[in-house]
Amino acid sequence: MSDTAPDAVTAATLRTGPGRLLVAVYGVFALAATARGVYQLATKFEEAPVAYLLSVLAGVIYLVAAVGLARAGRTSRRVALVSCVIEMVGVLVVGAASLALPEVFPDDTVWSGFGSGYFFIPLVLPVVGLWWILRIHRLDRD
Amino acid sequence: MVDWLTMTIQVASLAMAGWCLISTFRDRPMLVPHLIGMGVLWLLVLGQAVATVVTMVGGERPEETAMFVSYLATVVLLPPACAVWGFMERSKWGPAVIAFACLILPVLFVRLEQLWSPVV
Repeated sequence: MSDTAPDAVTAATLRTGPGRLLVAVYGVFALAATARGVYQLATKFEEAPVAYLLSVLAGVIYLVAAVGLARAGRTSRRVALVSCVIEMVGVLVVGAASLALPEVFPDDTVWSGFGSGYFFIPLVLPVVGLWWILRIHRLDRD
Repeated sequence: MVDWLTMTIQVASLAMAGWCLISTFRDRPMLVPHLIGMGVLWLLVLGQAVATVVTMVGGERPEETAMFVSYLATVVLLPPACAVWGFMERSKWGPAVIAFACLILPVLFVRLEQLWSPVV
């Protein structure tokens, strides 16, 4: 980004610039997935346990990613990186599984159909997240 | 829920999103007018929330009350949270945060209205 001076690049930069927006999106998705999963687990666990547990899991991973991005430091960056990778794998595996084995997923999760119920944001988000983390990592090393 | 308030909030929120997107593309940070805009939007949301809670205390409740209340809490908290988060960022990404928040706010209100009076 032209508005980020090279000398301003420190461990804190994950949450500045585009990272600011990324944290906001992750925060909203953490809330959406967790609240949805917890509500469904509490009210109708028997109907689709796999889907509901996955929703909660996805929510927790989004939350970890949001915190990892928002906090300064190398450990947080690693946490954010790992959670983005898990997310990427999750949305691809669950997306494919929901299409191939619809009987396992009688109810939708954030990752079903590659995130089609959420404007495909769950599919794009980990890609953008990884791009941003790796970019900052490279800037920081130089 | 007050129907016209929901409509007003949705239109105001989309207008706010458009304004902030323009600021983002023109490479402007979030300024005081943006903050005032978010304040007005938040007041509208608070008004709707208060009116709705009063109605609920009066006995009229949606079927999925817990779900409804959690959505209501989310729409009340979203504008101030995003305004603060966006205002802290002194680049064009500040208004981008607000634009994102203002784009999901109308969607949340659609869900709220659905929960309030489900069309079967």
